[in-house]
Amino acid sequence: MTDDRWMSGEAELTGELRTMYAAPTDESYWDSLEARILAHVARGADVHGWWSAMSEMARPALAAAAVLIFVAGAAVMHSRQLEAREAYASVISAAPPSIETAARTASSGDGDAVINYIMSH
Amino acid sequence: MLATISPSVSMHAPIDGAATERAIVIAAQRGSDDAFAALVRIHQRRAYSVVRAIVLSHEDAEDAVQEGFLHAHRALDRFRPDQPFGAWLYRIMANAALDLVRRRKVRDADELPDNIAIPFRDPAESGELRERLQEALTHLTDRQRSVIVLHDVEGFTHGEIGRTLGIPEGTARSDLHHARATLRRLLQNIRSSS
Repeated sequence: MTDDRWMSGEAELTGELRTMYAAPTDESYWDSLEARILAHVARGADVHGWWSAMSEMARPALAAAAVLIFVAGAAVMHSRQLEAREAYASVISAAPPSIETAARTASSGDGDAVINYIMSH
Repeated sequence: MLATISPSVSMHAPIDGAATERAIVIAAQRGSDDAFAALVRIHQRRAYSVVRAIVLSHEDAEDAVQEGFLHAHRALDRFRPDQPFGAWLYRIMANAALDLVRRRKVRDADELPDNIAIPFRDPAESGELRERLQEALTHLTDRQRSVIVLHDVEGFTHGEIGRTLGIPEGTARSDLHHARATLRRLLQNIRSSS
Protein backbone atom coordinates (compact mmCIF):
# COMPACT_ATOMS: atom_id res chain seq x y z
CA MET A 1 0.00 0.00 0.00
CA THR A 2 1.43 3.39 -0.92
CA ASP A 3 0.23 6.81 0.14
CA ASP A 4 -1.19 7.66 -3.24
CA ARG A 5 -2.76 4.47 -4.50
CA TRP A 6 -5.13 1.84 -3.28
CA MET A 7 -4.02 -1.76 -3.49
CA SER A 8 -5.53 -3.79 -6.28
CA GLY A 9 -8.22 -5.16 -3.97
CA GLU A 10 -9.16 -1.65 -2.99
CA ALA A 11 -9.96 -0.49 -6.51
CA GLU A 12 -13.48 -1.54 -5.69
CA LEU A 13 -13.62 1.29 -3.16
CA THR A 14 -12.62 3.82 -5.77
CA GLY A 15 -15.32 2.48 -8.07
CA GLU A 16 -17.87 2.82 -5.30
CA LEU A 17 -16.70 6.36 -4.54
CA ARG A 18 -17.08 7.27 -8.22
CA THR A 19 -20.60 5.86 -8.24
CA MET A 20 -21.52 7.79 -5.10
CA TYR A 21 -20.14 11.08 -6.34
CA ALA A 22 -21.03 10.73 -10.01
CA ALA A 23 -22.34 13.87 -11.66
CA PRO A 24 -25.64 13.63 -13.56
CA THR A 25 -25.15 12.50 -17.14
CA ASP A 26 -28.43 13.70 -18.60
CA GLU A 27 -27.80 16.68 -20.92
CA SER A 28 -31.15 18.22 -20.06
CA TYR A 29 -30.05 18.36 -16.43
CA TRP A 30 -27.08 20.57 -17.36
CA ASP A 31 -29.23 22.81 -19.53
CA SER A 32 -31.57 23.22 -16.59
CA LEU A 33 -28.72 23.89 -14.14
CA GLU A 34 -27.23 26.46 -16.50
CA ALA A 35 -30.57 28.28 -16.66
CA ARG A 36 -30.85 28.24 -12.88
CA ILE A 37 -27.30 29.52 -12.46
CA LEU A 38 -27.90 32.41 -14.87
CA ALA A 39 -31.20 33.28 -13.19
CA HIS A 40 -29.48 33.24 -9.78
CA VAL A 41 -26.69 35.47 -11.09
CA ALA A 42 -29.21 37.88 -12.65
CA ARG A 43 -31.16 38.12 -9.37
CA GLY A 44 -27.93 38.58 -7.44
CA ALA A 45 -26.72 41.24 -9.87
CA ASP A 46 -29.99 43.16 -9.44
CA VAL A 47 -29.75 43.06 -5.65
CA HIS A 48 -26.05 43.92 -5.81
CA GLY A 49 -26.76 46.86 -8.12
CA TRP A 50 -29.52 48.11 -5.83
CA TRP A 51 -27.25 47.92 -2.81
CA SER A 52 -24.44 49.61 -4.70
CA ALA A 53 -26.74 52.47 -5.66
CA MET A 54 -27.96 52.71 -2.08
CA SER A 55 -24.45 52.73 -0.70
CA GLU A 56 -23.41 55.39 -3.23
CA MET A 57 -26.34 57.56 -2.14
CA ALA A 58 -25.73 56.73 1.51
CA ARG A 59 -22.23 58.23 1.57
CA PRO A 60 -23.18 61.82 0.69
CA ALA A 61 -26.35 61.49 2.77
CA LEU A 62 -24.30 60.45 5.79
CA ALA A 63 -21.88 63.32 5.23
CA ALA A 64 -24.78 65.79 4.94
CA ALA A 65 -26.36 64.38 8.10
CA ALA A 66 -23.07 64.70 9.95
CA VAL A 67 -22.71 68.34 8.86
CA LEU A 68 -26.33 69.01 9.85
CA ILE A 69 -25.83 67.47 13.28
CA PHE A 70 -22.64 69.50 13.76
CA VAL A 71 -24.36 72.77 12.74
CA ALA A 72 -27.39 72.04 14.94
CA GLY A 73 -25.13 71.22 17.87
CA ALA A 74 -23.14 74.43 17.37
CA ALA A 75 -26.38 76.45 17.18
CA VAL A 76 -27.68 74.95 20.43
CA MET A 77 -24.35 75.65 22.15
CA HIS A 78 -24.34 79.22 20.85
CA SER A 79 -27.90 79.92 22.01
CA ARG A 80 -27.13 78.50 25.47
CA GLN A 81 -24.06 80.70 25.76
CA LEU A 82 -26.15 83.73 24.75
CA GLU A 83 -28.81 82.93 27.34
CA ALA A 84 -26.20 82.52 30.04
CA ARG A 85 -24.52 85.81 29.07
CA GLU A 86 -27.86 87.69 29.09
CA ALA A 87 -28.84 86.25 32.43
CA TYR A 88 -25.48 87.25 33.90
CA ALA A 89 -25.75 90.74 32.39
CA SER A 90 -29.25 91.21 33.77
CA VAL A 91 -28.08 90.30 37.25
CA ILE A 92 -25.17 92.77 37.02
CA SER A 93 -27.25 95.69 35.60
CA ALA A 94 -30.16 95.28 38.04
CA ALA A 95 -28.02 96.04 41.14
CA PRO A 96 -29.87 97.35 44.30
CA PRO A 97 -29.63 101.12 45.25
CA SER A 98 -26.61 102.13 47.30
CA ILE A 99 -26.79 102.00 51.09
CA GLU A 100 -26.04 105.75 51.48
CA THR A 101 -29.01 106.75 49.31
CA ALA A 102 -31.28 104.38 51.12
CA ALA A 103 -30.16 105.68 54.52
CA ARG A 104 -30.57 109.30 53.46
CA THR A 105 -34.08 108.64 52.23
CA ALA A 106 -34.92 106.82 55.41
CA SER A 107 -33.49 109.52 57.68
CA SER A 108 -35.22 112.40 55.86
CA GLY A 109 -38.48 110.53 56.13
CA ASP A 110 -38.00 110.14 59.90
CA GLY A 111 -37.29 113.91 60.31
CA ASP A 112 -40.51 114.87 58.56
CA ALA A 113 -42.47 112.61 60.81
CA VAL A 114 -40.96 114.18 63.93
CA ILE A 115 -41.72 117.74 62.76
CA ASN A 116 -45.26 116.77 61.89
CA TYR A 117 -45.74 115.25 65.37
CA ILE A 118 -44.44 118.45 67.19
CA MET A 119 -46.56 120.75 65.06
CA SER A 120 -49.71 118.82 65.72
CA HIS A 121 -49.25 118.96 69.47
CA MET B 1 -22.33 41.31 -26.86
CA LEU B 2 -19.44 39.03 -27.63
CA ALA B 3 -20.21 39.11 -31.35
CA THR B 4 -19.22 42.75 -31.49
CA ILE B 5 -15.87 41.98 -29.88
CA SER B 6 -14.95 38.72 -31.49
CA PRO B 7 -17.27 37.76 -34.33
CA SER B 8 -15.43 34.50 -34.94
CA VAL B 9 -16.38 33.17 -31.50
CA SER B 10 -19.75 31.52 -31.35
CA MET B 11 -21.28 31.12 -27.94
CA HIS B 12 -22.76 27.78 -28.90
CA ALA B 13 -19.72 26.28 -30.58
CA PRO B 14 -17.44 23.89 -28.70
CA ILE B 15 -14.77 25.81 -26.84
CA ASP B 16 -11.18 24.84 -27.43
CA GLY B 17 -8.01 26.62 -26.53
CA ALA B 18 -6.98 29.02 -23.85
CA ALA B 19 -7.00 31.95 -26.29
CA THR B 20 -10.66 31.43 -27.08
CA GLU B 21 -11.53 31.20 -23.42
CA ARG B 22 -9.52 34.33 -22.71
CA ALA B 23 -11.52 36.19 -25.37
CA ILE B 24 -14.74 35.02 -23.75
CA VAL B 25 -13.55 36.05 -20.30
CA ILE B 26 -12.60 39.52 -21.57
CA ALA B 27 -16.00 39.85 -23.24
CA ALA B 28 -17.69 38.83 -19.97
CA GLN B 29 -15.60 41.37 -18.10
CA ARG B 30 -16.89 44.03 -20.53
CA GLY B 31 -20.42 43.11 -19.54
CA SER B 32 -21.49 40.55 -22.12
CA ASP B 33 -24.16 38.29 -20.62
CA ASP B 34 -23.74 35.84 -23.51
CA ALA B 35 -20.04 35.53 -22.75
CA PHE B 36 -20.73 34.84 -19.09
CA ALA B 37 -23.34 32.25 -20.08
CA ALA B 38 -20.70 30.60 -22.23
CA LEU B 39 -18.33 30.44 -19.26
CA VAL B 40 -21.08 28.83 -17.21
CA ARG B 41 -21.67 26.28 -19.96
CA ILE B 42 -17.97 25.47 -20.21
CA HIS B 43 -17.26 25.13 -16.51
CA GLN B 44 -20.46 24.06 -14.77
CA ARG B 45 -19.72 20.32 -14.83
CA ARG B 46 -16.24 20.67 -13.40
CA ALA B 47 -17.55 23.25 -10.93
CA TYR B 48 -20.23 20.79 -9.84
CA SER B 49 -17.59 18.09 -9.32
CA VAL B 50 -15.45 20.40 -7.18
CA VAL B 51 -18.29 21.44 -4.90
CA ARG B 52 -19.77 17.93 -4.79
CA ALA B 53 -16.49 16.71 -3.31
CA ILE B 54 -16.88 19.21 -0.48
CA VAL B 55 -20.60 19.25 0.35
CA LEU B 56 -22.60 16.29 1.52
CA SER B 57 -25.43 16.12 -0.99
CA HIS B 58 -26.33 16.71 -4.60
CA GLU B 59 -28.79 19.45 -3.59
CA ASP B 60 -26.11 21.31 -1.64
CA ALA B 61 -23.79 20.98 -4.62
CA GLU B 62 -26.37 22.68 -6.85
CA ASP B 63 -26.76 25.53 -4.33
CA ALA B 64 -22.99 25.93 -4.01
CA VAL B 65 -22.48 26.00 -7.79
CA GLN B 66 -25.07 28.75 -8.18
CA GLU B 67 -23.58 30.75 -5.34
CA GLY B 68 -20.07 30.20 -6.70
CA PHE B 69 -20.99 31.54 -10.15
CA LEU B 70 -22.66 34.54 -8.51
CA HIS B 71 -19.45 35.31 -6.59
CA ALA B 72 -17.41 34.83 -9.76
CA HIS B 73 -19.69 37.23 -11.67
CA ARG B 74 -19.25 39.90 -9.00
CA ALA B 75 -15.48 39.39 -8.85
CA LEU B 76 -14.99 39.11 -12.62
CA ASP B 77 -13.50 42.59 -13.00
CA ARG B 78 -10.75 41.62 -10.55
CA PHE B 79 -9.71 38.55 -12.57
CA ARG B 80 -6.56 38.96 -14.66
CA PRO B 81 -7.15 37.28 -18.04
CA ASP B 82 -3.52 36.15 -18.30
CA GLN B 83 -4.23 33.62 -15.52
CA PRO B 84 -6.04 30.30 -16.01
CA PHE B 85 -9.72 31.07 -15.55
CA GLY B 86 -10.61 27.54 -14.43
CA ALA B 87 -8.24 27.54 -11.47
CA TRP B 88 -9.59 30.93 -10.36
CA LEU B 89 -13.20 29.83 -10.76
CA TYR B 90 -12.78 26.47 -8.96
CA ARG B 91 -11.16 28.21 -6.03
CA ILE B 92 -14.25 30.42 -5.78
CA MET B 93 -16.44 27.32 -6.08
CA ALA B 94 -14.54 25.56 -3.30
CA ASN B 95 -14.95 28.60 -1.05
CA ALA B 96 -18.68 28.74 -1.79
CA ALA B 97 -18.96 25.04 -0.94
CA LEU B 98 -16.96 25.42 2.27
CA ASP B 99 -19.20 28.34 3.29
CA LEU B 100 -22.25 26.18 2.69
CA VAL B 101 -20.81 23.34 4.77
CA ARG B 102 -20.11 25.75 7.62
CA ARG B 103 -23.63 27.17 7.47
CA ARG B 104 -25.12 23.66 7.43
CA LYS B 105 -23.10 22.73 10.51
CA VAL B 106 -24.37 25.77 12.40
CA ARG B 107 -27.94 25.01 11.34
CA ASP B 108 -27.64 21.32 12.21
CA ALA B 109 -26.14 22.18 15.59
CA ASP B 110 -29.21 24.32 16.33
CA GLU B 111 -31.63 21.54 15.46
CA LEU B 112 -32.72 18.89 17.88
CA PRO B 113 -31.22 15.46 17.22
CA ASP B 114 -34.74 14.00 16.97
CA ASN B 115 -35.30 16.08 13.85
CA ILE B 116 -32.48 14.44 11.94
CA ALA B 117 -33.94 11.78 9.72
CA ILE B 118 -31.78 8.73 9.19
CA PRO B 119 -33.16 6.85 6.20
CA PHE B 120 -33.22 3.09 6.51
CA ARG B 121 -31.25 1.30 3.83
CA ASP B 122 -31.45 -2.39 3.29
CA PRO B 123 -27.85 -3.62 2.98
CA ALA B 124 -28.97 -6.32 0.61
CA GLU B 125 -30.56 -3.71 -1.61
CA SER B 126 -28.04 -0.87 -1.58
CA GLY B 127 -24.91 -2.94 -1.20
CA GLU B 128 -23.01 -3.45 1.98
CA LEU B 129 -19.85 -1.88 0.63
CA ARG B 130 -21.60 1.38 -0.23
CA GLU B 131 -23.35 1.37 3.11
CA ARG B 132 -20.10 0.94 4.97
CA LEU B 133 -18.25 3.38 2.75
CA GLN B 134 -20.84 6.07 3.35
CA GLU B 135 -20.55 5.50 7.07
CA ALA B 136 -16.75 5.45 6.93
CA LEU B 137 -16.66 8.75 5.01
CA THR B 138 -18.34 10.46 7.95
CA HIS B 139 -15.25 9.62 10.02
CA LEU B 140 -13.08 11.78 7.77
CA THR B 141 -12.67 15.50 8.21
CA ASP B 142 -14.38 17.66 5.60
CA ARG B 143 -11.04 18.43 4.02
CA GLN B 144 -9.88 14.80 3.96
CA ARG B 145 -13.14 13.78 2.31
CA SER B 146 -12.81 16.57 -0.25
CA VAL B 147 -9.23 15.62 -1.04
CA ILE B 148 -9.93 11.94 -1.54
CA VAL B 149 -12.95 12.61 -3.75
CA LEU B 150 -11.15 15.24 -5.83
CA HIS B 151 -8.19 12.89 -6.27
CA ASP B 152 -9.85 9.52 -6.75
CA VAL B 153 -13.13 10.52 -8.38
CA GLU B 154 -12.26 13.69 -10.29
CA GLY B 155 -8.62 12.92 -11.01
CA PHE B 156 -7.20 16.15 -9.62
CA THR B 157 -3.46 16.18 -8.94
CA HIS B 158 -2.19 17.11 -5.48
CA GLY B 159 -1.17 20.51 -6.81
CA GLU B 160 -4.61 21.15 -8.30
CA ILE B 161 -6.27 20.09 -5.06
CA GLY B 162 -3.99 22.41 -3.09
CA ARG B 163 -4.77 25.38 -5.35
CA THR B 164 -8.49 24.65 -5.33
CA LEU B 165 -8.83 24.22 -1.58
CA GLY B 166 -6.24 26.86 -0.72
CA ILE B 167 -3.89 24.46 1.07
CA PRO B 168 -0.26 23.52 0.41
CA GLU B 169 0.31 20.60 -1.95
CA GLY B 170 2.01 18.66 0.85
CA THR B 171 -1.08 19.07 3.03
CA ALA B 172 -3.25 17.70 0.25
CA ARG B 173 -0.92 14.71 -0.05
CA SER B 174 -0.97 14.18 3.71
CA ASP B 175 -4.78 14.48 3.86
CA LEU B 176 -5.08 11.86 1.13
CA HIS B 177 -2.78 9.51 3.02
CA HIS B 178 -4.73 9.89 6.28
CA ALA B 179 -8.09 9.60 4.54
CA ARG B 180 -7.03 6.35 2.92
CA ALA B 181 -5.61 4.99 6.15
CA THR B 182 -8.89 5.76 7.96
CA LEU B 183 -11.05 4.18 5.25
CA ARG B 184 -8.76 1.17 5.06
CA ARG B 185 -9.02 0.64 8.82
CA LEU B 186 -12.79 1.11 8.93
CA LEU B 187 -13.45 -1.10 5.90
CA GLN B 188 -10.96 -3.83 6.81
CA ASN B 189 -13.61 -6.39 7.69
CA ILE B 190 -15.71 -5.99 4.64
CA ARG B 191 -12.73 -6.09 2.32
CA SER B 192 -11.28 -9.22 3.90
CA SER B 193 -14.61 -10.99 3.87
CA SER B 194 -15.39 -10.15 0.24
